[in-house]
Amino acid sequence: MSSVIAPTQAPAANPLREGLEQERVPDASCLVIFGASGDLTGRKLLPALYSLAHDGLLPAGQTIIGFARPDYTDDAFRLAMREACDKYARTRPVDDAIWENFAKGLFYVQGDFSEPGGYSRLNQKLQECDRTRGTGGRRIYYLAVPPQFFPVISELLGKEKMVTDPEHGGPFTRVIIEKPFGHDLQSARELNRVAVSTFRERQVFRIDHYLGKETVQNLLVLRFANGIFEPFWNRQYIDHVQICVAESIGVEKRGNYFDNAGITRDIIQNHMMQLLSLIAMEPPVAFEADPVRDEKVKVVRALREFPRGAEEENAVRGQYADGSVLGEKAIAYRKEPNVNPESKTETFAAMKVFVDNWRWADVPFYLRSGKRLPKRVTDISIHFRPAPYPMWRKLRGVSTTPNVLAIRIQPDEGISLKFDSKVPGPSVRTAPVTMEFRYATSFGAEPPEAYERLLLETMLGDSTLFARRDEVETAWAWLDPLLNAWAADPRPPDFYPAGTWGPEAADRLIERDGRKWRRP
Amino acid sequence: MTALPFEADVRVDVASIEKHLAELWRSSKEVSDDALTRAALWNVVAHTSDSESHTKASEALGKASGSVPQRTIIVRANPSAPPEISSWISANCHLVGGGKQVCSEEISIVAGGDRVHRVPPLVNALLIPDMPVAVWWLGDLPNEYEDYVLTLLEPADRLIVDSVYFDSPADLMLISNVAEKTTTMPADLNWVRLEEWRQATASIFDPPHMRGRLEAIRSLRVAAGTSGSDYFGEVVESLLYAAWISAQVGHQVDAQGKVEGALGPIDYRIERRKQEREVGGITFVEIAFDDGSCASISRDRERGILVTNVDGNLSFPETVTRAVACEIDKLIVRQLKRAQSDPILLKVLPLASRLAKRVAQ
Repeated sequence: MSSVIAPTQAPAANPLREGLEQERVPDASCLVIFGASGDLTGRKLLPALYSLAHDGLLPAGQTIIGFARPDYTDDAFRLAMREACDKYARTRPVDDAIWENFAKGLFYVQGDFSEPGGYSRLNQKLQECDRTRGTGGRRIYYLAVPPQFFPVISELLGKEKMVTDPEHGGPFTRVIIEKPFGHDLQSARELNRVAVSTFRERQVFRIDHYLGKETVQNLLVLRFANGIFEPFWNRQYIDHVQICVAESIGVEKRGNYFDNAGITRDIIQNHMMQLLSLIAMEPPVAFEADPVRDEKVKVVRALREFPRGAEEENAVRGQYADGSVLGEKAIAYRKEPNVNPESKTETFAAMKVFVDNWRWADVPFYLRSGKRLPKRVTDISIHFRPAPYPMWRKLRGVSTTPNVLAIRIQPDEGISLKFDSKVPGPSVRTAPVTMEFRYATSFGAEPPEAYERLLLETMLGDSTLFARRDEVETAWAWLDPLLNAWAADPRPPDFYPAGTWGPEAADRLIERDGRKWRRP
Repeated sequence: MTALPFEADVRVDVASIEKHLAELWRSSKEVSDDALTRAALWNVVAHTSDSESHTKASEALGKASGSVPQRTIIVRANPSAPPEISSWISANCHLVGGGKQVCSEEISIVAGGDRVHRVPPLVNALLIPDMPVAVWWLGDLPNEYEDYVLTLLEPADRLIVDSVYFDSPADLMLISNVAEKTTTMPADLNWVRLEEWRQATASIFDPPHMRGRLEAIRSLRVAAGTSGSDYFGEVVESLLYAAWISAQVGHQVDAQGKVEGALGPIDYRIERRKQEREVGGITFVEIAFDDGSCASISRDRERGILVTNVDGNLSFPETVTRAVACEIDKLIVRQLKRAQSDPILLKVLPLASRLAKRVAQ
């Protein structure tokens, strides 16, 4: 393919775009979804792409090609995707006129991931689209497939010469990889090795959908666009930080995958590491891919190692037993379909971690994540140190509480600050009150789905919101000793009834420090 | 909007508007605890001079407050009316999900005779501190030298006008001068209406091979839909469009409205086209290039979207040119959602005033 594409020089920016709401418009490309018959494509990817089209954010000529084993025609694929968009798109109901135009750029190529013939057919289709839809040889490969297929897809794309690079005079090729980015440090390194044998690191976009969430991106704005927070954002003023990612659902249809992974690999290694990095990072020199990721990876590098031989001192694991969630009966994890009835996999983990650097020395970060907890909520709370002198202590009715800045990532996204206030009346009595900011209240409109933002950023070639190789590997290197210790431990995790906030050991983990979990 | 008991207008004493608002919120908390949230991101002052425009402003801002919570202050000032001043308060509430409602306050002030001069200081006192202020001027434009106007605009970050009601090119310059001489930045609802045409035009030049043709523009023809009269406001959107092209492409416009590009004179022509619908809007754009080729934009009436035609290739770039909702409240929302006023409009206003000489009669 690269032979038919003349070397290109980046054209000057379109001056007519200046000041328009949509200042950055990607050049039209072919987005190939490997695994197009899977759940992710119908639930997330196509609805996100359609919503981008609806909001006028896709370039004319943008082309999407589904690639998978089932034998669909273009029309059958379009029909299935229309149904998916009707069901899952943020902008529902689907607008017929917009869909008609969108569907003109939607195609399907049947093929097996390990069969070269499929890639030839795909390549022909891609070249045809270059001629008819003006996609200019630009390619984005979305690997919506289990990680074991990544090496073969990567290898065959390379062999069929379907990867080009502007540095060598060709149009761009980018590849999007879904988590899990490995199972441990060794497998992550192997995945990354395979990736860079076909692609350059800057062509690889590792998607962690948490980074596409508006509220997660707002962490950087909150910290670095406001003058008041940064002076207090350190060990002098902050007592501790809590990060909670709670899910009310169980493993649903993912029993097979989850039983081999556990909550630590599924949530903590990626999503929570991202939240922790953004909360703890130093200001980057620019809001650009490498400066931001450089600072994030420094945080992960500064994480204190789990003590050798006593890894569990600062970590607790649990597994849900029978219980009830939101008024509904919930069965134990071991009774879930496709789960080993004697599974030791953790569905809950809590840990106390330290970022050993100048800013955060000895400030504990308490992480807590689990399935079948009382509700679905992700939030971060910054607990400030108490006032230095309790001048009210001799007065009855006065009990001061430390200030808490709580950042709600989902749902009901917002930020609140808790502080004490005098209760109106002749005597001095205090009560905690909160100042609240809610996205829905202030901005009305529903924020775009994380996948919308991330797909658009990939088309634009901006990898700021994607995980870099060293981030991923450093996080594994830090977690591996704990995961190995748990794997070697013959005891099962502590059980907790579904619908509670985890095992008692998790409470003890924080209470022995004289603190307690915030009720999110 | 949802009907609540305190959404109806309550007449209150002018001197104690804030006190009555505080009471209103206290009583609403007693009724529904935390189901109601009072919110404001903007102070929006609508200046009107008659009951018709007062109602129009109230309806539009009531709807707009669902997307941009605000303290709305609607002023009806008529020096010819009897000398009295009165005020009302009410709330605009909108459901935001989970059974919760976000409410914005609306204060109406009606003044007549010499009492009109009491309005600007009263408005100043009612503004929520630390929130930006937009003054939306409905009707005839203010005289920039009046104390009344200067006092009213003094705290304003933004002056919102609608140039479709402008009488002459001087109005364009007047708005431009506000930006030059004060800290208030102008915003024009007509400029927002123009956005879909700007988007469509930009999309023509998005493909890398089209970028270079911007320098090869030989002529620009813009057709304005008019009612058949020679009312100036009906061609302003077309003038703004032409001025935008010249500003962004780097064409020079002299005092007579003649346009010069890097390769020589460029023929800018703004035509009036009589029609029943879309009066005041652009109906057609044609851009011709040095090599004789051309690109055009028109509206597909059936689908309500713009169609581009480049060298004979029709395209419906509806992904970037879907008809932008043109109801007043939506235009206001789009203005208020921009953190800053559009600096490109400032470049465009004086050029549009000069290009007015190019309007074919």
